Amino acid sequence: MAAPSAAGLGRRLRAWLPRIMPVRWSRYNPSYLEPEAKKESYQKPLEALTEEEREQMELKAVRPIKAAPPTLSSSVFSDPMISKFTNMMMKSGNKVLARSLMSQTLEAVKRKQLEKYHKAPENEKETIECNPYIIFHQALKNCQPIIGLSNITKGGKTYQVPVPLTDNRKRFLAMKWLITECRDNKHRRTMMPEKLSQELLLAFNNEGPVIKRKHVLHKMAEANRAYAHFRWW
Amino acid sequence: TLRLICTTTTVQRKNVGASGPEKYTEAFIKKQIEEFNLGKRHLANMMGEDPETFTQEDIDRAIAYLFPSGLFDKQARPMMKHPTEVFPEQRKIQWGEDGRPFHFLFYTGKQSYYSLMHETYEKLLNVQKHQDQLIAQDLPLQKEKRNLAGSRWLTKIELEEMLLEKLSDDDYSRFIQLLQKLVALPCADIEEMYIQKFSKEVPAQLQKVVVEPLQYDERGVAFSTGEGKRKTARATAVVYDSGTGKITVNGIDILRYFPVLQDREQLLFPFQFLGRIGKHDTVCTVSGGGRSAQAGAIRLASAKALRSFVTEKEVEFMRQAGLLTVDPRVKERKKPGQEGPRRKFTWKKR
Repeated sequence: MAAPSAAGLGRRLRAWLPRIMPVRWSRYNPSYLEPEAKKESYQKPLEALTEEEREQMELKAVRPIKAAPPTLSSSVFSDPMISKFTNMMMKSGNKVLARSLMSQTLEAVKRKQLEKYHKAPENEKETIECNPYIIFHQALKNCQPIIGLSNITKGGKTYQVPVPLTDNRKRFLAMKWLITECRDNKHRRTMMPEKLSQELLLAFNNEGPVIKRKHVLHKMAEANRAYAHFRWW
Repeated sequence: TLRLICTTTTVQRKNVGASGPEKYTEAFIKKQIEEFNLGKRHLANMMGEDPETFTQEDIDRAIAYLFPSGLFDKQARPMMKHPTEVFPEQRKIQWGEDGRPFHFLFYTGKQSYYSLMHETYEKLLNVQKHQDQLIAQDLPLQKEKRNLAGSRWLTKIELEEMLLEKLSDDDYSRFIQLLQKLVALPCADIEEMYIQKFSKEVPAQLQKVVVEPLQYDERGVAFSTGEGKRKTARATAVVYDSGTGKITVNGIDILRYFPVLQDREQLLFPFQFLGRIGKHDTVCTVSGGGRSAQAGAIRLASAKALRSFVTEKEVEFMRQAGLLTVDPRVKERKKPGQEGPRRKFTWKKR
């Protein structure tokens, strides 16, 4: 009930405009909640839920819910992280191309891992991870920086101040670094899926240029530790 | 602080009561009420009805019959209402004949707001004192959870109407914060009556939609129709009960009509969510929009059609999964002085 509003469902959902016009607005009233597409969360019995989940359920029963976007689906193949990554790879709205590149990348990762698996001796076969989704998630997690830098101007000079990052920002930076790395530092003839699968496997093993970039950022933050008190938030 | 940016069209009424000191004296309003009652009886006589049992709806109907008007704005048509609805409530003069104000907080400028804040804070201190007493006597503090989901606080407009005073957004958010603080204390049940003055019930379930019953065609197969739209695409879907799970769009199989995997995934989303993939046959017609918009429209149409085949709980689950809401996002218009909806023209220094 932080920002109360009466849901005017009698009228059609047309041009909902707020009183004070912010630059970033959405067609939905702020009381609309995000949709939850996973089937498992609806099949849990009542007793298994914690207090917060019960409150959340009650809130969801009263508030309207936004429509599910075209990237969200309840099938096993739809993954929110993969969709976000695909959207970031997309250029000029060409989602078909971005999605095909993504699937080719995952296929390339799987092929490389299977090659390694078949060549490896018996005792090492269990340690090799073949699931491309797990590799993708782990690689992203390894690339996420813990602390970031922000420019703060004080007394005419701009300092790089170490600043904590939110989860969303960390994920965004990891994905952005991966994509820029694959676009810039490759030979003219190598295709994007090949290069991306290479980078993902390197990041999965904590090697590679993206991990190096993350370490560089951490070192800069450590070096500028003295200015940490400039942060006021 | 809370920045108030969320009011719906229904709540954007002007607060006339707080705009200034009273324009209508009490005697004037009394005379208007007498005239209204007399006029009501005359009208009842004219229409041949009983003057004693002449309700407001009868008055509205009579006026619409006697003075038919084709004006578009309902407020501009002739109307006969009780004077308290026509003349909004105004603040009375707040000082006596000697010029001395009645209320001790008059010189703050917002006397009712500050007196309300003082009252609420007094209740808060009361609750704290009660809590301390209970702790001193080693009694347990009752904590029955107040149902937060089913109620909302008054909006700024409603509060302004209650106090007959203009409020700023900051004032309003401070008041709401104070109320929330009061409610968060364990022994707040003592002041429940006071808190109820400022909270309103939100309609319990937001699924006021009526689920249509199944229809049966000539072969005896149960079917149900649904309509959906997204951007400019409009779609109708007919979902048959027994079937192999084939989906036909405008007479073409979906594998041919939607070559992109994402669209086919969207079409199958409602069925996959309910676990009924191979059980229903669908025939759809769609027009307008682009590839993704048509897929979204068909998804909404088939989800609406599936409501008749499924229990109420599953309908609620579908709603919470976002399958039954119309997507309001449309293309933003281009503005003059800019190249597109957001992109500005290239800035040239000279």
